[in-house]
Amino acid sequence: MRWPVMRAIIAKDLIAVGRSKAVVIPMLAVPALLMVVLPLFVGIAARAPEDPNVGSILNSMPGDLADPILSLPAREQLIVLVNGYLLAPLFLIVPLMVSAVLAADAFAGEKERKTLESLLHLPISDRELFFSKLLTAFIPAIAVSWIGFIAFCIVSNTVAWPVLHRIFVPTSLWLVMILWVAPAVATLGLAVMVRVSARARTSQEANQLGGAVILPLIFLAVGQSSGLLLVDLPISIAIGAAIWVIALWLVRGGAKRFTRDQLAAKV
Amino acid sequence: MTAAIRTVDLTRSFPSGIALDGLTLEVEQGEVLALLGPNGAGKTTTVRLLNGILAPDRGYAEVLGIDPAVDAEAVRRRTGVLTEHAGLDERLTARENLVLTARMRGIDTAWAERRTADLLERFGMADRADVLVQGTSTGQRKRLALARALLHDPDILFLDEPTSGLDPTATRDVIELIGALASEHGRTVVLCTHFLGEAGRLADRMAVLHLGVLHAFGRPRELAAELWDGIDAELDLGEPISPTSADALRNERGVIAVTPTTSGGRVRVTDREVVPHLVRHLVTLGDAVYGAAARPPTLEDVYFAVEARIAAAEGRDISPRSTDVFSGAVEVTS
Repeated sequence: MRWPVMRAIIAKDLIAVGRSKAVVIPMLAVPALLMVVLPLFVGIAARAPEDPNVGSILNSMPGDLADPILSLPAREQLIVLVNGYLLAPLFLIVPLMVSAVLAADAFAGEKERKTLESLLHLPISDRELFFSKLLTAFIPAIAVSWIGFIAFCIVSNTVAWPVLHRIFVPTSLWLVMILWVAPAVATLGLAVMVRVSARARTSQEANQLGGAVILPLIFLAVGQSSGLLLVDLPISIAIGAAIWVIALWLVRGGAKRFTRDQLAAKV
Repeated sequence: MTAAIRTVDLTRSFPSGIALDGLTLEVEQGEVLALLGPNGAGKTTTVRLLNGILAPDRGYAEVLGIDPAVDAEAVRRRTGVLTEHAGLDERLTARENLVLTARMRGIDTAWAERRTADLLERFGMADRADVLVQGTSTGQRKRLALARALLHDPDILFLDEPTSGLDPTATRDVIELIGALASEHGRTVVLCTHFLGEAGRLADRMAVLHLGVLHAFGRPRELAAELWDGIDAELDLGEPISPTSADALRNERGVIAVTPTTSGGRVRVTDREVVPHLVRHLVTLGDAVYGAAARPPTLEDVYFAVEARIAAAEGRDISPRSTDVFSGAVEVTS
């Protein structure tokens, strides 16, 4: 595969996406809500005059997870519980959503804009085309996730500083989530959506099929396993590895089955 | 001459049916071939097969000596395609569309930028270079798409409906551009269209496809000779020929058909020696004859004759066009 050629395909798509407000605004709104607005409100709530009571929530959580938080002063418990732990599974929406939105547009969007045929007529191999489209979705998904996480850390620590007087995120579990699980989840989402996109006629159709049926199932599975992720570092690494295996298996299968002929037959 | 394109029994089906059935033809280097036919005739499928984006079910093709089913990328490196829809990304500027396409072709950025600037200048788009494509007219998009097809100076150009959606002025501009491109460096051009006027102006040979089957292939004059006997001449009488005069001419020796026109009549005769005799006869009938000239068969004449033959073979009725010179010459049964 020729990297300069792939870079050109990715550049073309990213410049175009960057100029499309209809894509960019929703893509940034959810991460902004999860990574900035929510931790900000939690931090503000923790600084309220009356102590927030999260004991009932902590009592319903596994002891390994709840005990260290219960040992903290009541005012710190809310911040550490929500920003340190409960937001983590929700955070996985970000790479999944961004990769899915962009991957849905990969081929279906080209069909819709009637640009696919001229792309197919270029001397680009099927593999170069397929992996370029994957990377076009993967790179922004990871960029938004990581930049969002940096913003989350800054906001969380800043608003919590008057209460905690220490930096409490990122924790090692958060780092595993961001650096290991989030890319796996992004890959899983785009591996599914690129295949859906190659079959769909429009991005809307791809989004409907992927967004209504497939992605909620993935999200449920990832959401459930992310609860486990919070328990133990080795378990979280193992779950991340399992998601990677499934995602890469799907990518490999997609690359094998992807042919220009199939795509051109549907233009 | 060497064949730039050769196909043998090239066939491709889709779930909806056969798109191309046993296409066999050769296109010489430097030639302009008009691939004609109505929508669904198989023109676009032919281009896709020749450029290796579709694989044939049967048969094979050679493009510049390369089988596109074996090494499609090598073929695509030497061909340029203008698709029916210009296929430009509207969210990019004219310059970005060209530079990024050049880079996708593996051309280095500095060279791509220089070539893009040259082409934008040549195609009269320099002043729109940094405008988003969504702000350009259909004609400008076609010119831009043509420029994009030429970025790598291809040996073969595939042009799929290059003037569709254009106004008359833009159509004339694009046809002139294509004519100039075809004469450059012995470049081969395959022109898919259902606009016969542009094909007639540009093409050396024509191929008529109908429902995926090749029904005629050759130079218009050669095909005309196969399709009908005799030669045609235009008579300028200053007004449509009267029914009496037309009947009188029909009864003359060597006359095959007579068709009234707005300025006189068109006659088909067995040989050119008959024409002076007809002029004399019209004068004796009291008709003023301002001119008489042989009229070589055009691509359009041949196309409609082929279409009529197809219709006849399929048992369809086809109404003769009022302007069809050869309407009397093509027998159509229903």
